[in-house]
Amino acid sequence: MKESLMDILCDPLDKSDLELEVDERDDDEILEGRLIGTETGEVYPIEDGIPNLLPPDMRDD
Amino acid sequence: MSEESTTSASERRTLDAAEQRRAVRNRYARIATSTNGETDCCTDSESCCDGESPDSGSQKLGYDDTDLHSVAEGADLGLGCGNPNAIASLDEGETVLNLGSGAGFDCFLAAKEVGDSGRVIGVDMTPEMVEKARENIVKNDATNVEFRLGEIEHLPVSDETVDVIISNCVINLSPNKPQVFGEAFRALRPGGRLAVSDVVMTAPIPKNVQRDPESMAACIGGASTIDDLRAMLSEAGFVDVEIKPKEESGEFIREWDDSIDLNDYIVSAAISGEKPVEGR
Repeated sequence: MKESLMDILCDPLDKSDLELEVDERDDDEILEGRLIGTETGEVYPIEDGIPNLLPPDMRDD
Repeated sequence: MSEESTTSASERRTLDAAEQRRAVRNRYARIATSTNGETDCCTDSESCCDGESPDSGSQKLGYDDTDLHSVAEGADLGLGCGNPNAIASLDEGETVLNLGSGAGFDCFLAAKEVGDSGRVIGVDMTPEMVEKARENIVKNDATNVEFRLGEIEHLPVSDETVDVIISNCVINLSPNKPQVFGEAFRALRPGGRLAVSDVVMTAPIPKNVQRDPESMAACIGGASTIDDLRAMLSEAGFVDVEIKPKEESGEFIREWDDSIDLNDYIVSAAISGEKPVEGR
């Protein structure tokens, strides 16, 4: 995901802001890392450039 | 034991919703992984091209040759039921959100319309589809398209950030359609619009078809009536709601199921609405 798209992303649970932690990047592109709900504390992983913003109960696999 | 006997209707509905989601995810994961970007589009016989290439099916759905050839192979799995971009008439610079973006075909078409100053975000709940879509970003050399794994009932998109929401034959799959429309309304800017192609029910679908998870996952069992859809959209806040059935969709819907003629029950429709500008 592109870091520049952070502004329109939000926590799917309560729509609050997300904080970005980056493990690996390629320019503006975040490849590995996580998005953390500033209110919920929920951790949404970013793997292979894809942010997983499914609600926690949907991440069953 | 007592728990079981006191299970409320809403809890039972939740279980059904979970079952419904699982059926949908499994089906589309299977389709995503069974296609190799070549012309064989899926191994299922319903709701998808049946041995013919996605292209020939997609022409029936309202995409023209230019559309089909402007996107690299592998993004069009032939799973839609119309062309939401045609309904949306996108402008340069707009932010577009695609609910249930699959392998990304409609996103890449939308990306060409909105240009470099615009952006397109696809949300899909099936990991295999999102991976495929991301691979297609590279094939299409698209710089203004992003995909994320997410659920359309819980959109990971901030309030009032999107100009246009498009969706192609996906909302019928949701166990909670009012919530999908509510979320779409929230994410749209005032004056923003919804442009959806989806199946609608024209006559009661036989109960055995409605209850079959596979039929639900194949865009048949979950279809709503036009009146119900209109009520859900109005309830969410949309104005200028239009739901136009497309009679010509019979040609491809007929190919979705061998055992019954689905044209007796469902038709593809162009569904649109607008989020009012305050004080208008």
